[in-house]
Amino acid sequence: MSKVKGLFKARWMSSLIFLLLLFLITGVAEPDFLSYSNIISCFNTATMYTLLAIGIAFVIMTGEIDVSIGSTLGLSAAMTGLIAKQDGSIGVMLLAVVATGAVIGLINGVGVAYFGVPSLIFTLGTNSVVRGMIYILSDGRTVENFGGSLASYGNLTLFAEITLYYALAVLLVAVAHIVLTKTRKGKYFIAVGDNAGGANLVGISVTGTKLLAYVLCGVFAGLGGFVFASKYGQVMTVAGNGYEMTAIAACVLGGISLSGGLGNMVGAAIGAVIMSSISRLLVFIGLPSTYDNTITGIMLIVIVVIDALTQRRSIEMARRKRLLSRTAETAAEGECQA
Amino acid sequence: MKAVKKIFKHWEMFLLVFLVLEFVIFGAVNPKFLRPQSIMNSIVNYISVCIIALFVTLVMITGGIDIQAASIIGLTSIIQGYLWSDLGLNIWTSVLLAIVVAAICGGLSGFFIAYCGVQPMVVTLGGSFLYSGLALLVSGMSATPAYQGISGFPAKTDDGAFVDYRFLGKGELLGVPMPIVIYLVLIVLCIWLLHRTKYGERLYLIGVNQQAAEYSGINTRLVIMSTYVLSAVSAALAGTILTSNVNSAKYNLGSGYTLAIITAVVLGGTLNTGGKGSILGTVLASLIICILRYGLPLCFDVSTQNLDLPVGIILVLVVLGREIAGRGMIAKAVRAFKKSAAA
Amino acid sequence: MSEAVNERSGVLMSIRGVTKAFGSNVVLKGINMDVKTGEVIALIGGNGAGKSTLMKIIMGIYDLDEGEIFMAGQPVKLGKPSASLAQGIYLVPQEPMLFPNMTVLENVLMGFNENEAELKKRLQKHMEELGFTLNLQRKASTLSIAEQQLVEILRGLMREARLLILDEPTSALTFGEVQSLFKVVEDLKRKGISMIYITHRLTEVFEIATDVAIMRDGLITLSGPVQDFTKEMLIQGLLPTDVEVSESGHRAYRPVDYKNTKPVLKVRNFSGYGFSDISFDLYPGEILGVAGVVGAGRTEMISTIFGRDKTLGGTVTLDGKDITGLSTKRILQEGINFVPEDRHYHGLFKIRSISSNTTSALLNSRELGKVDMNRRHQREISQQYADKFRTKIVSLEDLIGSLSGGNQQKVVISRALSTRPKVVILDEPTRGIDAAARSDVYGIIRQLKEEGVAVLMVSSDIEEVVELADRAITIFQGRINGEFSHDEISQDALTSASFGIGHERVVAK
Repeated sequence: MSKVKGLFKARWMSSLIFLLLLFLITGVAEPDFLSYSNIISCFNTATMYTLLAIGIAFVIMTGEIDVSIGSTLGLSAAMTGLIAKQDGSIGVMLLAVVATGAVIGLINGVGVAYFGVPSLIFTLGTNSVVRGMIYILSDGRTVENFGGSLASYGNLTLFAEITLYYALAVLLVAVAHIVLTKTRKGKYFIAVGDNAGGANLVGISVTGTKLLAYVLCGVFAGLGGFVFASKYGQVMTVAGNGYEMTAIAACVLGGISLSGGLGNMVGAAIGAVIMSSISRLLVFIGLPSTYDNTITGIMLIVIVVIDALTQRRSIEMARRKRLLSRTAETAAEGECQA
Repeated sequence: MKAVKKIFKHWEMFLLVFLVLEFVIFGAVNPKFLRPQSIMNSIVNYISVCIIALFVTLVMITGGIDIQAASIIGLTSIIQGYLWSDLGLNIWTSVLLAIVVAAICGGLSGFFIAYCGVQPMVVTLGGSFLYSGLALLVSGMSATPAYQGISGFPAKTDDGAFVDYRFLGKGELLGVPMPIVIYLVLIVLCIWLLHRTKYGERLYLIGVNQQAAEYSGINTRLVIMSTYVLSAVSAALAGTILTSNVNSAKYNLGSGYTLAIITAVVLGGTLNTGGKGSILGTVLASLIICILRYGLPLCFDVSTQNLDLPVGIILVLVVLGREIAGRGMIAKAVRAFKKSAAA
Repeated sequence: MSEAVNERSGVLMSIRGVTKAFGSNVVLKGINMDVKTGEVIALIGGNGAGKSTLMKIIMGIYDLDEGEIFMAGQPVKLGKPSASLAQGIYLVPQEPMLFPNMTVLENVLMGFNENEAELKKRLQKHMEELGFTLNLQRKASTLSIAEQQLVEILRGLMREARLLILDEPTSALTFGEVQSLFKVVEDLKRKGISMIYITHRLTEVFEIATDVAIMRDGLITLSGPVQDFTKEMLIQGLLPTDVEVSESGHRAYRPVDYKNTKPVLKVRNFSGYGFSDISFDLYPGEILGVAGVVGAGRTEMISTIFGRDKTLGGTVTLDGKDITGLSTKRILQEGINFVPEDRHYHGLFKIRSISSNTTSALLNSRELGKVDMNRRHQREISQQYADKFRTKIVSLEDLIGSLSGGNQQKVVISRALSTRPKVVILDEPTRGIDAAARSDVYGIIRQLKEEGVAVLMVSSDIEEVVELADRAITIFQGRINGEFSHDEISQDALTSASFGIGHERVVAK
């Protein structure tokens, strides 16, 4: 019973309820929306954001930020395209995107965790550098006309209309979730973001944990790039531009606190679905997709403001209760003596 | 420690040397670079970033961050266009109303940050979605298709001179393009505001230690909120100048400027934790980026599309260098002290 | 049997000649200390004596400058928390360092590499042995301080700690919670776990400690088995060896004319978070000392007067005007200013200049100009105070962070005086500053008295209250439990009342 209660208290649960409500409201306005294939495609289109969101969630949980993932995705996508053009195998492509992501993540991690540069600033810099490398790699042109097996995987559905990529992404979410919640080292990410000083006190390496978070974040962005190339069949030099903001928004919607130490992977994945299905929902409600950003913005702000206010209130209440209990006790004692 | 302090104290000096070096090198490679008209044009092309960076400096000095300002450029632009073209308002009334809307947008985000205690990064992230979304909605209300942009603003006389509204973006004063004139005025205004007024002093104090500022009787929340209003208004000014310059009101003007603005402020030496920074530093950093973007394609054949790379490299090297220099010096001081203690 | 005795007398940890300095501030001046197995050493000493620094060195949070630490006779290199943990050392910090968003179970098991089921079993065993009942699924942020401390102790036990350091564990606990903590300490003692127990409460020493060590100014000045000491001896040991200073202070004493002056500040039945039913008067030209232990509610009381927290009841009147519950900005305008206890957190603008720091409270007045900042006047004011207080500065434009603690404090006091207040509230005015600066600060406070300013001085340093105050009140667990006229003020009386002893004595009128 308490488990069920705990489940409902979980922050990702409210994100899920929020998502369901969005679906229901849309369904009331337009019953067609609630068809199976429609809902499934909401999830399928969230593949890239899901990958980005769980990647950056590692970083955000440790209390840092990474705004270079949009470019990392773009660079990996361009690489995938170029390898495909030379008839490279899928294995080589995956190796390339993972390596690219890992290297960029490592550089970010060293700058932030080891040298202590504020993460927003450092990753802002690497974002520009990586974006520039896309231009160099692709000679400033859109990478296109690569086909073969890569493109055919893009929309390959496994079963029940679920695409291969989304299924794999869900698998990764599950793995990441289990690593974070069930393994010893996995819990370090949250611990470092929750209380870095306390983590240090129990012998956890704060630097090492943050470094690893950045590497993982880069790798996931790299995989996102692979999916991008496979899905769209062409990679422009601006590919992935601005995706970092969407991924951050997905994490926030999924209940991950930007101050770190709070949230989980399931939430990030749900947030990604919310972010990617808003435009589809709007179409069904009868609003043009131009409302997309407005609704996203309002949702984000309302959610974080409510979250901040309730958190502040609970902290303040706890403090006051603690202080009040000190004087309450003496009053009782005094009465006894009297 | 002293050496570090020196670097920090003379950060603006470092930036100035850097800027001069750019002129020397670019000028040596390609004398065409030194044509004043082209240099000024390069600044006009980047004027939105230059202007907004001035006021985002104020935000960051209080320890905040503003990533929504760029979206307000487009919002102001399209509101002006819509009010003027579709509702037939006077162009200056339209400009004024657009600026008021921007101020409200900034105030709203500022309120959530200062009074509700939400992280600035998150609120302004939401704001960037919201305000760019609103811009698109306004654009949808207009008779002109969104991709086209509203044009035909007043006015260009028959002999080719720009007057009225378009004077702002295209006119010249004593041979200097109006955007640069306005920029100069704003620089002076900001230097006065930040370095010469009690308001500026409050900004620094809040950025260094908000708690201590509260104990000094400073209404820190109101001051923090005000910086977001100012930066939004500056974005509205930038949006107006840009619209006037390109003769087109579009919802997505300036949408890619967010990271550029932050880069200029940070490169200018403003601490992202607040409490330190200067307008001069931001101005020099903005110009360094401007000139780099102008000079590299002209003199070194770098593709105009690929100007983020050098800017990014400079940013990364500079922040790393600053951090490493700071650490090295501290470690040295500790070692020296240990030695003297042992002796 | 004899083996067990040997075990008991075996030295677990030896500290030899440990020194530590932060910048030019030497905090530890050569500490020697032995901790035997199963011993509970009570470490007592005033604020700034270096207790916390020593403990952080043992825990590996700071590295030592000189000296050596031995565990069971072997020299060990600490300097990293993981190294200290490996040696079986665990620090229960004064403010527990839990992960607020995690459950109790996660908190306890964080950082272990063993099988979780095994760990849970061990945890269950420890909890049963100590009779803890704590829901392991609760979030740490919902725990009371006492419960958080239990979690910290469990963490230490789970690490098979041989040496537990408890840093003022009872400072935030209620009476009942203290009793259950003592029971835990007794149980741990019986299990042969050594403890260093830092405390300000002398009664606790005799209740649970086997040994006592007194620290003063970075040295251990006195130590031995607890039965060799009486409470009076401990108080004596805490007092400075040179009592001349305080005598000279008494010589210069000029009594306050209570008959012909009206109180400037009247506090009546004042209640808020952390204090209750506080009433007192403060006269112009008077220094009213407020004594008590850390956590007694003194800081909460004065910061509520200063508009930093919500008032729950009662009134505060300044010169006949009701100022209860006004904002800090208004309170400053009405004529009260404040020197906060935590200089770094509430007082200093570290990376701003000395003159900015001196004048920050004047920004709301016209004194520095209407809109434009009158920099020249700002410098004049700052220079004036720097001269007056003999603040050691090179340039007014230097960052305040470059000054020593004592000079920083002088600048913070300058700020409090810059608004020319009728009442100055000082919270621990000499915390963490050296002896020379301390006597300068005393001079400043006396001068304020001369000038007719009313001074409300909260201090945990009883000597300070004895030396300066015209009158004193003591606060114990949020209420006034003693009021002392100038003649009644003595170290003994104040110390006893601060620690809640003898509060049955009728409050002096």
